Amino acid sequence: MKLIIERSALLKSLGHVQSVVERRTTIPILSNVRLDAAQGTLSLNATDMDLEIVESALADVGEAGKTTAPAHTLYDIVRKLPDGAQVELAFGGGSQLTLTSGRSRFQLACLPVDDFPALAPGDYPHSFSFAAADLRSLIDRTRFAISTEETRYYLNGIYLHAADSEGVNVLRTVATDGHRLARVELPLPDGAAGMPGIIVPRKAVTEVRKLIDEAEGEISISLSESKIQFAIGDTVLTSKLIDGTFPDYERVIPTGNDKVMETDCKTLSQAVDRVSAISSEKSRSIKLNMEKGTVTLSASSPEHGSAVEEIGASYDASQLEIGFNARYLLDIMQQIEGDAARFTMADAASPTVIRDVSDGSAVYVLMPMRV
Amino acid sequence: MKDAINMTVRILPPKKDAVHMTVRILPPNLINQIAAGEVVERPASVVKELVENALDAGATHIDITMNEGGRSLIVVSDDGAGMDDRSLALAVERYATSKLPDDDLIDIGFFGFRGEALPSIGAVARLKITSRTREGSSAWYVMVAGGRRDGPVPAPHPRGTRVEVRDLFYATPARLKFLKAARTELNHAVDMLNRLAMAHPYVAFTLNADGRTRLSLDAEIGDLFDARLARLGAVVGKDFIPNAVPVDAGRDGFRLTGYAGVPTYNRRNALAQYMFVNGRPVRDRLLHGAVRGAYQDFLASNRHPYLALFLECPPQEVDVNVHPAKAEVRFRDAGKVRGLIVGALKHALSEAGHQASTTVSDAALGAMRPEGARLPQRASNSLFSAAQAGQAPLHSTGPGTGLAESQMNYDGAPTAAVIEGDDEASADFPLGVARAQVHETYIVAQSEDGLVIVDQHAAHERLVYERMKAMLADKGINRQLLLLPEVVELDEAAAQRLVDRAEELAELGLVLEAFGDGAVVVREVPALLGETDVQGLVKDLADEVSDFGEALALKDKLADVCGTMACHSSIRAGRRLGGPEMNALLREMEHTPHAGQCNHGRPTYVTIKMTDIEQLFGRR
Ligand SMILES: Nc1ncnc2c1ncn2[C@@H]1O[C@H](COP(=O)(O)OP(=O)(O)OP(=O)(O)O)[C@@H](O)[C@H]1O
Ligand SMILES: [Mg+2]
Repeated sequence: MKLIIERSALLKSLGHVQSVVERRTTIPILSNVRLDAAQGTLSLNATDMDLEIVESALADVGEAGKTTAPAHTLYDIVRKLPDGAQVELAFGGGSQLTLTSGRSRFQLACLPVDDFPALAPGDYPHSFSFAAADLRSLIDRTRFAISTEETRYYLNGIYLHAADSEGVNVLRTVATDGHRLARVELPLPDGAAGMPGIIVPRKAVTEVRKLIDEAEGEISISLSESKIQFAIGDTVLTSKLIDGTFPDYERVIPTGNDKVMETDCKTLSQAVDRVSAISSEKSRSIKLNMEKGTVTLSASSPEHGSAVEEIGASYDASQLEIGFNARYLLDIMQQIEGDAARFTMADAASPTVIRDVSDGSAVYVLMPMRV
Repeated sequence: MKDAINMTVRILPPKKDAVHMTVRILPPNLINQIAAGEVVERPASVVKELVENALDAGATHIDITMNEGGRSLIVVSDDGAGMDDRSLALAVERYATSKLPDDDLIDIGFFGFRGEALPSIGAVARLKITSRTREGSSAWYVMVAGGRRDGPVPAPHPRGTRVEVRDLFYATPARLKFLKAARTELNHAVDMLNRLAMAHPYVAFTLNADGRTRLSLDAEIGDLFDARLARLGAVVGKDFIPNAVPVDAGRDGFRLTGYAGVPTYNRRNALAQYMFVNGRPVRDRLLHGAVRGAYQDFLASNRHPYLALFLECPPQEVDVNVHPAKAEVRFRDAGKVRGLIVGALKHALSEAGHQASTTVSDAALGAMRPEGARLPQRASNSLFSAAQAGQAPLHSTGPGTGLAESQMNYDGAPTAAVIEGDDEASADFPLGVARAQVHETYIVAQSEDGLVIVDQHAAHERLVYERMKAMLADKGINRQLLLLPEVVELDEAAAQRLVDRAEELAELGLVLEAFGDGAVVVREVPALLGETDVQGLVKDLADEVSDFGEALALKDKLADVCGTMACHSSIRAGRRLGGPEMNALLREMEHTPHAGQCNHGRPTYVTIKMTDIEQLFGRR
């Protein structure tokens, strides 16, 4: 193998690829990136056995060939090369890859390319495509609620499925950690009807999200019962799915809540942030007391004292005091892009539903806290 | 394949001789051998039975001999009441005892009550008992071997009893095979004797093993507390004495006395926890669990305190006859006993207040003593390097350099800040008045009778932790309601145990209820824990509630979070403190319970007494 590639092109691809490679792994070859040069392209490939990324970059290939080299080291080196440099990669079949650029020369230890694991290829019976911005909005507004508690592995990802939302066919993403839940939907794209409900693991979500930022236009998604594949520009990301059953989330989204409060989202966020500053605990608790026309936020800490702030709101129901984890509340407020947020509540011990007044595509459910 | 199919199942013909087997009453010797299997497990159990007999006989001096780990010879002689020829003959008969005068198994005031020990020993070894009563004009002996008795025969012997056991288990080779190395067997016996000796400080004990004195405990004098402490020191080690606080508590006819080690004086295993119920050494999960509960705020879960606790209670409140070697007991009201122990220990420990272990400073002082040289030339050097290796990273303050003088750090920064002209009366403050901060890590204070060195980070962390705990106790624990309540499958008994304690758990922030048979559903969790592994937590709790009668896992977890948070909001090592700040820290430590150890059981400060300093300089 022998090729010359521009530093910037190589850096961009390596940047994507190395991010999939785990820093600590017991299988040495998983620390490596697979390099395959042929016909004017260098294709780079990394995997952690659950998630695989393949990316291709234009290169001047003098001699086709393949090998594997340590991903993080390679990335580090290329990062430190000067802007605009040309990089030459050469591998003569031995145990070392030679990287030359300007007056720098590196010899990197290689591992046999035949040992490099590949995700078993499979059929992807369902495929559809999505505007990058739409996928971003589906992910961003749910992923904050993904559970990090590994014992409930089936919550460690985003549930993606096709649903019927009051007669409209939609594609939905749902995430919950058992304390709060986020559900976002967009019109069902062509080809997605009949797809199975799947749970996309957090790591795949994170990687896709990184790639979306650089992508423009359409992203195509293909999936089966056990895998999902995203084609984003020159990159293909394939992930195994979480093998589990996502809980029947519809059951916990209340429909009968009758106490409605609407308020300016930004005002509320800032007030929550300020008032909760007083509480020293990790679970910054905050109380919302709702009365006609106002919401009074309060928090107290035996150590630091107490805080109160009153904000205007439209509220007509009977007085209600309800406690929340301030961080959870802020997380949700951050997802709301419109000006106003609508809270619908039943009482201080039942789930509260929060929505963006100007956008019906997302529903957030927050369980109160007993303060 | 064919072959396999053609194979037939054959029914075995009945065994001829099996048919002729009849039920019969076992010969007495065999019964004794079977009983011996339970009573006499190893040499240590023989020693235990014999020493208990001696104690029952009112002995004040008990001498024990063991050869080859007790395999070839065990002798126990006492100066107790002794036996006349008639009693002697009876003593080796099964179920013959002088200790249950009114056939009441409930009221057991003696160690012995079964009349089983001597016959059991006689069934598995060669036994010879020589004894003489106070009034008796002569001594007598009996011998038992292979179930046959010889004697009583007159013999010369002073007042008291001597029991000789030779060739243990010669009659039961299977048991013999299970004996461990002589040293191991001897150690078991020593451990056993230590326990008995602790419970009987007024009795002198000696143990001679293969011609060498292994144990020699003089009879202690004084009141029971003094005598016990002296005996504990002799058994556990002298360090125990200055590091122990007395325990004395009572409730409804129960009385708990003894000594508990301060938390900073700890060890890696629970082997130095000695417990006695009505004078009997016991190892009991309930008791150990109670100790863990009482110390959990002060000790990391892998460190264990030293202690010796003596519980006296009305005999009808405790069943000692649940274990053949009487090592376990069963209380009628386990909750009460547990509560008594936890309460008494917590009380004793908070009385001790901020007392930190003296062993650490002793170790440092020991290291200070110059080797060989009479003048402590390099004294300060060796002190500090030893302290460095031993515990805290207190760096060398070179010879001739007073703490008051600035010392260069690695990076050349001055490392000792001195507070001048502060002539406050140190007498008013147990922890003294701050004199300097060294290495931006330790506060050096002058107290009335010496020097106090405080680890600023550890001390402050403890203060924050105690504050946080008080706050939780005061305000209650915030609970996060679960959007997805979690069902935890358990066995039926475990689920029931948790449901029975639902109220207590709710106070700790965990709200659960029964969910069919053998499961619970968790609806609220302590908000402090964030997103936590509810399944794991509840399962741990179920186990602990059965083992220790307390929700330790939950308390541990909450304490952990408090501890971590305390650690984050504490002043760190490396921060420079001014005089007022240091003094404020010292004063707060004096007023905070348990300020003497950090959350992990390490000391937050050490004191070096003036007398020790003077000794170092040869002034005493
Ligand atoms: N050292 C001794 N001094 C005086 N009497 C003794 C001594 N050892 C044993 N005896 C007498 O022999 C009896 C039998 O002893 P043995 O140990 O077999 O039974 P026990 O002590 O009554 O009950 P246990 O089987 O529970 O120990 C005792 O009840 C006691 O009267
Ligand atoms: Mg006995």
